[in-house]
Amino acid sequence: MLQWLRKDPEKQRQKLLSVVHDPSLLRYLEVPLPDPAQNLLQTEFVALDFETTGLDATQEAILSIGYTVIREGRIVLRENGYHLIRVNKPIPEKSVVIHHITDDRMAEGAPLHEVMPGLLAKIAGRVLLVHYQAIEKKFLNAACKELYGYELPARYVDTLEIARRRLARAPMRYGPHHLRLFNLRDYYKLPRYNAHNALEDAIATAELFFAEIAQKRRPLERIRLKEVL
Amino acid sequence: MEIEHLEIRDYLAQCPPMDTLDPETLDKLIQSIEISYARRGTPIIDVGDRCRFAYLIRTGAVEILNADGELHGHYSEGEWIGVRCLLRDRIAQRSLKAMEDCLLYLVPADVFLQLLNDHVGLLRFFSPHKPDRLREAMDQMRNQSNATLISTQVEDYVKTDPLILAPDTSIQQAAVQMHAQNTTALLVAQQQRLTGIVTEREFCTKVVAQGMDVSQPVASIMTPNPFTIDPHKSGAEAMLLMARKNIRHVPVVENGQIKGLITATDLLKHQSHNAVFIVHSVHKAKSLEKLQTLSKELPATLVELVNSSLTAYDIGHAISAIGEAITVRLLKMAEEIYGPPPVPYAWILAGSLSRNEQTAHSDQDNALILADSYHAPDHGDYFERLAQFVSDGLNACGYDYCPGNVMASNPQWRQPLAQWQRYFDAWINTPEPKALMYTSIFFDLRCAYGDATLLGTLQRQISKTAPDNSIFLAYMAANALQFHPPLGLFRKFVLEKGGAEEKALNFKKRGVTPVIDLARVYALACGSRALSTQDRLEDAADKGVLHPDSMADLRDAFEFISTVRLQHQARQIENNQTPDNFVSPEQLSSLERRHLKDAFEVVRTLQEAMKSRFHAGNLG
Repeated sequence: MLQWLRKDPEKQRQKLLSVVHDPSLLRYLEVPLPDPAQNLLQTEFVALDFETTGLDATQEAILSIGYTVIREGRIVLRENGYHLIRVNKPIPEKSVVIHHITDDRMAEGAPLHEVMPGLLAKIAGRVLLVHYQAIEKKFLNAACKELYGYELPARYVDTLEIARRRLARAPMRYGPHHLRLFNLRDYYKLPRYNAHNALEDAIATAELFFAEIAQKRRPLERIRLKEVL
Repeated sequence: MEIEHLEIRDYLAQCPPMDTLDPETLDKLIQSIEISYARRGTPIIDVGDRCRFAYLIRTGAVEILNADGELHGHYSEGEWIGVRCLLRDRIAQRSLKAMEDCLLYLVPADVFLQLLNDHVGLLRFFSPHKPDRLREAMDQMRNQSNATLISTQVEDYVKTDPLILAPDTSIQQAAVQMHAQNTTALLVAQQQRLTGIVTEREFCTKVVAQGMDVSQPVASIMTPNPFTIDPHKSGAEAMLLMARKNIRHVPVVENGQIKGLITATDLLKHQSHNAVFIVHSVHKAKSLEKLQTLSKELPATLVELVNSSLTAYDIGHAISAIGEAITVRLLKMAEEIYGPPPVPYAWILAGSLSRNEQTAHSDQDNALILADSYHAPDHGDYFERLAQFVSDGLNACGYDYCPGNVMASNPQWRQPLAQWQRYFDAWINTPEPKALMYTSIFFDLRCAYGDATLLGTLQRQISKTAPDNSIFLAYMAANALQFHPPLGLFRKFVLEKGGAEEKALNFKKRGVTPVIDLARVYALACGSRALSTQDRLEDAADKGVLHPDSMADLRDAFEFISTVRLQHQARQIENNQTPDNFVSPEQLSSLERRHLKDAFEVVRTLQEAMKSRFHAGNLG
């Protein structure tokens, strides 16, 4: 899709400011989205990962949320977050195999509406860094729509998309498996973290982001945000 | 907050020195960590930068350069960098640059310093004083040992109620009592003071062989003033004492009180390839074939000694005791074949065997000093045959012929005392580079057998003339600078000054030899007759030619390097390989590489000190 046809999230944010009443969403909307012209060193990111009951955001639910913050080009573990979400339906067995969140564990979690205000406060004014935005973006929008009536205007950087663009330029053919978080990290010889834990995957995504943009061979202060959006 | 499940935590929990932290402290540490990425070729810290973090390299490699651009070292996965600057004024004096794409775990300075403040083990690990770090490493190495001999005390083995008899007990009564108590040795004591020991052997060699009157007092056949050991010494020390002195029974004495008796059999139960056992069997061996068989036990013995976590110093003594015993046994065999020597002689050991630093079978280095009454036409054949017999025998036992022909079978090194005195006079008073070849061999001499006074005369000559001869010492010092330890070990490579990389390090040439050579120079300078490198360094410190701190640093560095070499050889033997001196850095843990780097630096520093002390740099 062409760039100019897409809705500009910053314009959406400004538009929503006058119609939204929920205080936590309002607080989120009061902070301007990062300027695409600013450089990566001054940009703050929240690397975000969800584990879900399935892939369809309209049908399935978020089970866990993990995130970490990137500031001044460094991942700051002190600002990590991890939440288990209690949902009102049993977890399909085939997804348990992946994320190891059982019904019993889920029951220890908090309902999404209790977790969301904290998450919104964390991501306000920051770029969301995800691997494969089809999941996080859609689930986040679906959750906000359900809780607040509106989708969430936000800027996303997708490491899968960055890798896809890089591979598309390379002479070598590539398949979908090349674009998986695990395989991309392996390509950059990044350590093998435990996959499919939302926090671990969020950190893994943040590190992969560093490795990908290092390919640009310019320091972070000389890369503009819009180059990676 | 899920921190406990993170792989980063697992990684840090096994990464020295953080592997010593309790879980709670580790969690706090993880919370504080920041992660950064440095692309190949990009700077991490420049000289003059303010340092805000300690860095742990998770993946990749980092190059550190001194302010003048000279290479300081290469560092890789699992190594901490940027620490020294935090311990000082936080202003970087060296630059850190990514050699490869690096993932770095950063610990903020205040968190890191607090951690060091709270954990003395961490403080020692990161101590800017390398010898301290080395000492800590060695303490840990020894403490990890679960081997029996080193972790047990003599009192754990000791028989507490040995047979003790008065000196005037008759020989026959003694034999009856030994039989009744089913024991192989008895102690002789007067008013509870130990005066001697009698073993079964004396009944055989003295009573029966000499047809002694069995009503004589037992004191007439005892070995007076025997070697004793304190009950709190380790089992290993008892074993070494027995091996060195070729004895099998040692009275245990504390503050003059007899506490019991320890026997080789007691210790043997804990070790199958025991140096005591081999030395003892060597002395009893009747044929060359038997000696060959016993000599084949040496590699297995080395493995067991290394696995017992004994010090390299002790292992060297135990292994050398076997080589010495075989030499002595061969000489006795030669005398049985060719008859008693026509003139007195001293069989001289040189090289590592002489220094008690033998590790595995090595080439033989030996010589013969003949009494000046030697007359070549009459005696030449005898000593030629004797020397050839022993040299061939040693070769058959795995001590290969010396490639440089420094052997008593070579007429040049089978000479009367007067000729040896001329040799040494020339080496010391008119030193020349060619002669220096021999000095590293012939200034480590020990008499294994024969008339030790012949060597004593030579040694007096050396210790009288060498210390005052500054030109000789300068030559020796220059010679001792031939081999330098490398800059460090980096992953698969040995890092040389200037940045070149080699695949394996010769731990003899580049590891132990620089220290051995250095210790020899100091020993000559202070007139010490000690032979072991460690003893020489201690003598040099006692006599004030080497600073006690330098001595301790160098001794520890030597011990550490020697231990790594021994462990390498033990592993090779266990894998049915012939032990050698080539250690590839890949075989070493990152921790071992770090400590070796420290040890090498200690050696290099003291080589420099020696160079200026003896003006070795002033020689053409």
